Amino acid sequence: MSKGTVILAYSGGLDTSCILVWLKEQGYDVIAFLANIGQDEDFEAARIKAEKLGAKKVFIEDLRSEFVEDFIWPSVQANAVYEDRYLLGTAIARPCIARSQVEIARREGAQFVSHGATGKGNDQIRFELTCYALYPEVEAPWSMDANLMHISYESGILENPKSHAPADLYLMTKNPEDSPNTPDVLEIEFGNGVPLKVTNVKEGKSKNSPLDIFSYLNEIGGKHGVGRIDIVENRFIGMKSRGIYETPGGTILLQAHLDIETFTMDKEVRRIKQGLGIKFSELVYNGFWYSPECDFVRHCINKSQENVQGKVQLSVFKGQVYILGRESPKSLYNEELVSMDVQGNYDPCDASGFIRINAVRLREHHRLQGVSSIKK
Amino acid sequence: MSKGTVILAYSGGLDTSCILVWLKEQGYDVIAFLANIGQDEDFEAARIKAEKLGAKKVFIEDLRSEFVEDFIWPSVQANAVYEDRYLLGTAIARPCIARSQVEIARREGAQFVSHGATGKADSLTLSVGAVQIIAPWRIPDFYNRFRGRTDLMEYAQKHGIPVPVTPKAPWSMDANLMHISYESGILENPKSHAPADLYLMTKNPEDSPNTPDVLEIEFGNGVPLKVTNVKEGKSKNSPLDIFSYLNEIGGKHGVGRIDIVENRFIGMKSRGIYETPGGTILLQAHLDIETFTMDKEVRRIKQGLGIKFSELVYNGFWYSPECDFVRHCINKSQENVQGKVQLSVFKGQVYILGRESPKSLYNEELVSMDVQGNYDPCDASGFIRINAVRLREHHRLQGVSSIKK
Repeated sequence: MSKGTVILAYSGGLDTSCILVWLKEQGYDVIAFLANIGQDEDFEAARIKAEKLGAKKVFIEDLRSEFVEDFIWPSVQANAVYEDRYLLGTAIARPCIARSQVEIARREGAQFVSHGATGKGNDQIRFELTCYALYPEVEAPWSMDANLMHISYESGILENPKSHAPADLYLMTKNPEDSPNTPDVLEIEFGNGVPLKVTNVKEGKSKNSPLDIFSYLNEIGGKHGVGRIDIVENRFIGMKSRGIYETPGGTILLQAHLDIETFTMDKEVRRIKQGLGIKFSELVYNGFWYSPECDFVRHCINKSQENVQGKVQLSVFKGQVYILGRESPKSLYNEELVSMDVQGNYDPCDASGFIRINAVRLREHHRLQGVSSIKK
Repeated sequence: MSKGTVILAYSGGLDTSCILVWLKEQGYDVIAFLANIGQDEDFEAARIKAEKLGAKKVFIEDLRSEFVEDFIWPSVQANAVYEDRYLLGTAIARPCIARSQVEIARREGAQFVSHGATGKADSLTLSVGAVQIIAPWRIPDFYNRFRGRTDLMEYAQKHGIPVPVTPKAPWSMDANLMHISYESGILENPKSHAPADLYLMTKNPEDSPNTPDVLEIEFGNGVPLKVTNVKEGKSKNSPLDIFSYLNEIGGKHGVGRIDIVENRFIGMKSRGIYETPGGTILLQAHLDIETFTMDKEVRRIKQGLGIKFSELVYNGFWYSPECDFVRHCINKSQENVQGKVQLSVFKGQVYILGRESPKSLYNEELVSMDVQGNYDPCDASGFIRINAVRLREHHRLQGVSSIKK
């Protein structure tokens, strides 16, 4: 007597294969759902494996375009970075997969959804202990999670925070020591804060669909070893964990977007939006993509991007991204106003008054407090 | 009859030389003050020049150590970055120079201090007490008379001010121990690419060494105590030596170059290029040891304070009650930020390799996938379900329309 139907986010790997078998053991009907979010996987082989392990049905869905347009693009608008360094490649993928999974559950009348806590949770421990008896395999020296945006490496030998990662760990980016000795120069065109087009300036070729743009940026970034970080981060559940990430295309986009945004956005709007971007990153990291607060923050961030349009030229070389120049029809940049050679519509006396007014408060403070704080 | 004494922040360059002469013309006694904050300058030649131009006295002060300990180190603690990219090399130097300038003014009984910053530059640290500021580039008599470099050159020639022989670069530069900044001139066109030979403090990554340098930086209270070159074994342990060495390594590998457009305090956007080699290495190392040792929620709050600190410093408010307060809070947060970070420096990039600390909150057993540690996985389920209560209620009311594609 079946306990009900479970939609399992299946990857073909050890973890989710064990979970599939374990769920059947527990009396569930299992529908395997493979989400193609850009990971390097043999989906047909995984389908066959799932069927052999007893999955009632197998769905394979190509989610790459919606991953880029509905999840990566809003993160680009936000300059999404967690704790100043992590570009959220895994955190952004979760809601994308979950959304499809839930839709399939509704369609199939399933009561449950399940996932293999891909190296993040401790539920995996329970499954693995059962599974090793059924499905012995050599354990990788670390855990990996891969999608269109990044590959993450954690656990195993990486758990020692002092140890250096082996040089051959990375799969998505080339070692900068072996990357080309000449840079690639790209021009990225933005509209509403998201990429519309990328052009390789030297070669003249360009891409203009979201998926093609992002894939191409990954290709160039990967070729030049861009986007590698080794960090210790704070997990939502309270512990610190050491992780290594390579986010080639995302890193190029972050720098390009930061540039076009500061070029076109009002200073004070930017300040507020910067805070919202940090908030957005924390919400996404903690798994709250689908929450009223995250909907709200995304809406506000999107509103801020109205005039974030134009073109940024940059070079990519040996693990680094260099902004070369930018232009925009919506820029607030005024060459005459800033020029040292032309006065423009600006009276320098105003600056004196501005400074003196700012100083009123400080003079009063020092009048009372004395100048002890300024002494060496 | 002297109008009073002015302490002029003098650099030896065309601008401040003209200002020196102009101030004397206006009837002031001028004391020239040269601050050594690590810029590449012939200070003795500048002293002689100032005396020739009629400065009553000339003071040259080596402020490099205090620049590092009192201004750069607090900025390291703060992870100070303005608008996500600018490491504040010029903004940090101003209060350092101004502090000494004001002290000299008091000692000498001067009523005025003066500087050569343009009327469009970011406001300098606001002076306090009875000392008044003379900023010639904001005085109509001055800026209407000297509408550009040609006018300054003419004035210089007329008054026997030695005129630079080499043609000026087609941009403006500001250099100190922390960075060199480049602005104006041909750089004012934001679309134009900077010439490859612009940079002076860092090597072009295309020409930098093909093998990385590996460094170990030891931190205490969030500031560097020691840097060691792991391969070569040599180390430095005074603040100035540490920072200078990080500049040397960073410079050698082309680290810390940025080309940005930023929002000035006075409201306009400006395009600037900066090279901050040592500061960039320190930012990455400090971010790492800090997240390794600091509580998650303290870090969140401190991150916001760091952004606030950066804006205050950028806008010239180093000496303000709010900046004192923020610096105090940031310093408090750094109590346990100690340990060692190993990193490699290569072709314009910094790579963290590993870290250790006696004060780390990192618990290998707790995080391990192979050992349960003092952690019950069931708790995670409860935690998630409690977090979901609010979301379930929201979706019950709103429907699930927000989740549909």
